[in-house]
Amino acid sequence: MSRYRLQGKGRVDHSAPVSFTFDGKTYQGLRGDTVASALLANGVHLMGRSFKYHRPRGAVSAGSEEPNALIGTSRGAGRFEPNTRATVQELRAGLVTESQNKWPSLSFDVGAINDRAYMLFSAGFYYKTFMWPKSFWDKIYEPVIRGAAGLGKSPTEPDPDRYASRYLHTDVLIVGAGPAGIAAALAAAQSGADVTLVDENAEMGGSLLSDPAVLIDGKPAWDWVDAQLGRLRAAGVRLMTRTTAIGYYHQNMLGLCQRLTDHLDSPPKGAPRERMWRVRAGQVVLAQGALEKPLVFDGNDRPGVMLAGAAQTFLHKYGVKVGDNPAVITSHDSAYHAAFDLADNGARVAAIIDTRESPRPDLLDGARKRGIEVLPSHTVTTTRGRLRVKSVRAAPVRGTQVGTGRDIACDCLLMSGGWTPSLHLFSHTKGTLAWDGQTFLPDRKTEDCEIAGAGRGLWGYADVLADGAAAGLRALEGLGRAGHQASFTVANDRPGSGVSHTELPTDGNAGKARAFIDFQNDVTAKDIRLAVREGMRSIEHVKRYTTNGMATDQGKMSNINGLMIAADALGKEPPQVGLTTFRPPYTPTSFGAFCGYLRGETFQLTRKTPIDPWAEANGAVFEPVAQWRRAWYFPKAGEDMHAAVLRECKATRASLGIFDASTLGKIEVAGPDAVEFMNRMYTNPWTKLQPGRCRYGLLLGEDGFIRDDGVIGRLSPDLFHVTTTTGGAARVLTMMEDYLQTEWPELDVWLTSTTEQWATVALNGPNALAMLKPLVEGVDWDDFPHMSCAECTVAGLPARLFRLSFTGEVGFEVNVPARHGLALWTALIEAGKAYDICPYGTETMHVLRAEKGYIIVGQDTDGTVTPGDAGLDWAIGKAKKDFVGKRSLSRPDIVAKGRKQLVGLLTEDGSLLQEGAQIVLDPNQPKPMKMVGHVTSSYQSTMGHPIAMAVIEGGFDRMGETVFIPMPDGVRKAKITSTVFYDPQNERLKA
Amino acid sequence: MMTSQKHDFAAAAIRIEDAAPALRLSLRVKPAHRDAVGRALGLDLPARVGQRAQAGDIQALCLGPDEWLIAAPEGAPLADAARAVYADAPHSLVDISDREITLRLSGPAVLDLLAACCPRNLAAMAVGSAARTVFDSATVILWRDGPADFRMDVWRSFAPHVRSLLAQAQAEIAAGL
Repeated sequence: MSRYRLQGKGRVDHSAPVSFTFDGKTYQGLRGDTVASALLANGVHLMGRSFKYHRPRGAVSAGSEEPNALIGTSRGAGRFEPNTRATVQELRAGLVTESQNKWPSLSFDVGAINDRAYMLFSAGFYYKTFMWPKSFWDKIYEPVIRGAAGLGKSPTEPDPDRYASRYLHTDVLIVGAGPAGIAAALAAAQSGADVTLVDENAEMGGSLLSDPAVLIDGKPAWDWVDAQLGRLRAAGVRLMTRTTAIGYYHQNMLGLCQRLTDHLDSPPKGAPRERMWRVRAGQVVLAQGALEKPLVFDGNDRPGVMLAGAAQTFLHKYGVKVGDNPAVITSHDSAYHAAFDLADNGARVAAIIDTRESPRPDLLDGARKRGIEVLPSHTVTTTRGRLRVKSVRAAPVRGTQVGTGRDIACDCLLMSGGWTPSLHLFSHTKGTLAWDGQTFLPDRKTEDCEIAGAGRGLWGYADVLADGAAAGLRALEGLGRAGHQASFTVANDRPGSGVSHTELPTDGNAGKARAFIDFQNDVTAKDIRLAVREGMRSIEHVKRYTTNGMATDQGKMSNINGLMIAADALGKEPPQVGLTTFRPPYTPTSFGAFCGYLRGETFQLTRKTPIDPWAEANGAVFEPVAQWRRAWYFPKAGEDMHAAVLRECKATRASLGIFDASTLGKIEVAGPDAVEFMNRMYTNPWTKLQPGRCRYGLLLGEDGFIRDDGVIGRLSPDLFHVTTTTGGAARVLTMMEDYLQTEWPELDVWLTSTTEQWATVALNGPNALAMLKPLVEGVDWDDFPHMSCAECTVAGLPARLFRLSFTGEVGFEVNVPARHGLALWTALIEAGKAYDICPYGTETMHVLRAEKGYIIVGQDTDGTVTPGDAGLDWAIGKAKKDFVGKRSLSRPDIVAKGRKQLVGLLTEDGSLLQEGAQIVLDPNQPKPMKMVGHVTSSYQSTMGHPIAMAVIEGGFDRMGETVFIPMPDGVRKAKITSTVFYDPQNERLKA
Repeated sequence: MMTSQKHDFAAAAIRIEDAAPALRLSLRVKPAHRDAVGRALGLDLPARVGQRAQAGDIQALCLGPDEWLIAAPEGAPLADAARAVYADAPHSLVDISDREITLRLSGPAVLDLLAACCPRNLAAMAVGSAARTVFDSATVILWRDGPADFRMDVWRSFAPHVRSLLAQAQAEIAAGL
């Protein structure tokens, strides 16, 4: 075992070694390690290269805020993930990891040439550099920039993992299971409230896991945590680890991403990798703690330079000493404890460099006892070391004067610039922030939430525990429940305070300092000052100009430092400059977690008819129509779509075709006022329609434009069977219900969707009647002409039979209860064999109806077509005093000449027009040409030539005229005709 | 290590079964005639949305101020009974037996199963009540027949989607995570 691993220390399992690889080399860590702690235990600090300058970088933190140690991980085929934070990824057997942004190797990287040329790559360089010559942009600049852009490699294979989703309703949701969160949970769990405590880490306990010497109520911190978690579990509190609250949305809804299997050597079969929880909480307690801030000085990014708190965490949680010979630079008391703990575990602390004049006497005492030199009123002016920090240069500061520095040898440098409360989730709620002179704290709330502990700027365990308990109690009281206020006694507490800085003072050339603020995006203090010099005033502009805070860590470490420096450069107070907005997700979240179940066969809801299994078994090609999948055509061996459709069309016209029309919308309109309602809704007159007869119904909007149509049967005086278009079913029902409830509540009529109650089979063709007749009982065929309906039995099944036609042939629609749909279909196929029955799909349906000039709402109409435009004036009940849309039909622009009207088109050369193609009257006019209409429908037909329908300005007055359709390969000529291409006298319907 | 999402594997069984076909009627009637139609059908129609009433093997669920779902064994002569009072108590009674299919969902983890795709707080739903809600993008009616016993009415064409989602959630619960 490496000398950096302290035997018996930490919460890792020293008896359970775990092997993994990093850049092809095998390392050993322990169960409970992260990749970062395991590499550090092996003395490896160099974990990646930065984005812009390709500078060598190591882990700077020990948690989810990590900007540097981003690695690619592979958990097997298809399971590669870029930009995984090494400080978060737990070790699992066989984990393969690799560094990023380097070539050919991590220790020798050609891209690091950018670092030498850093003066060229200042903030906004790409806005300035690539402007000229303009012609270089497409061919040179953009491809090169794109090649260099981005961090990590995208996965190339589909993700084989499953992702889950779940909703949760809870009385109190507590985010963060450190001391404040645990105290809040204990308080909230009184009196039987449903409480959920979540933490992004593998274990609960938060900072207490890195401070084991603290005694709470006489117990060492870890024992206390165990005991409290036991109490919470016993009280029924839902404890969720590895669960990140990624977003805080309206009305106390939070998104949680729970990582379920990434840490397991062999996940159980069927287990999802992650689960997205959508939580609705009565009360929320945010106990997210605080994130340590780096200090800003030249060379603060070398591998081995890390946050002091991170070193303390690696020591106590993972039993890893991050170096033998650390130096410390701090402006906050907390770093002393990190130094002391490392010293107590065998490290030789080179020095504690404190920017402050008078460090606390007890801390000086602690340093003296351990033989650690403290340098108060000192700054760090630079560090040295290529792939690992070797020394730090400390210099005394007197007022604004930086004195002569001295180099202090070290193998790591621990820094602390103080702590920033985690305000991310609070910011998602649009809660306002207040500046306390050092940092921003939560101020006015917009949601039912409490903020507790270090998350609102408190420091020291006694204060934080008391605050958590109080917040939990307030949450409980917010639910209208009561509890009592718990108190905790804390010994060996570690309270502290500090000061905030801009860049640390230096005696070097500030313009050449590589003092990093945003490590991942390589933004330096100099960049921020340059942005201000170049006119950026708002922090939002500074952010975008410099890209500070725009990396995957969303500025968790850099935002406050960037703001302090921008404010200083502007000569303003930080709150006047403002803080950029935090947005969800809190940490990078996989696309899979957002998708959840919505992939593969459940990507989107797909509705299937009862007859769908037959179509599938018989080789149908399907097309999506609204949410349905419908049989499009039934190709036989060797047939393409065109051949199959032409065969289906001809078979239907010659003898008999069968079609699944089950997706047609159906609405039962029932009640004493049913006929009055129909008169008001539809353009047509309904009063005189006798029971047992059908009528084509046309539905308009208030604007007079066609909304829907369908054949409607009157089954009894008080009962109409309305059909709608497939896509219009829900919309039409909603529109009708809207009118009924808001305009005509006095009517005694009710609407019920019966779309799925009935399976509908259409039979069309000259032999339809002959084939159907023997199967039907209960119909008087002497009184069942075209446009009739009846309740009867068909093939022994209870049925509603309609005689109607959407093909121009004799046609029927047989409706049977949906469970019998498939039985009816197969019975009809069987009986139809004598007539060479041909199943056809939606494409043939479209061709056959187009030959007859029957419109399809939504294809031949587009929401601007009136009945008059579509040649459907005959469907308007002229004597009716009102119907929906009637008044609009007399508006001046509706009755004006020159409206686009629906006509037929026949091409001169017999070619097929493209649907959507634009039509002009003069193909030789200058561009842009005046377009007078467009093709709405176009098909190969059964008549040996293609047909088309189009809307053309004043089309009805242009019968026989020639129009032109300019296409990429030439101009087509077409003659305007009637839309009825086939059997204009309707002879075939009368058979 | 410290996840509370533990499942007792033996007890975590979830049963997803198809219920036998039943007579389902959609009843629409204005409040003034509610009692009359209820009497004709043989039960008191509940007045609050989500409330259920039962008389023998006929169940009524209030889905809206003027809307009830009536469930009964196939062949129950309810339509005739209602027709007898139609003249004095106009209403609409539509057979929707085939519009939906009914799934019976039960087992100790059934609330987790439903929470996979239903945003409603089902733990807070009273046993013996029912609600029209959504499961993913499908409208469903959920009947809570017991603490761990639900019925789900789902439109027939939506059923394959719903079944597939239920199977995925069932598998993940069986995996214990």
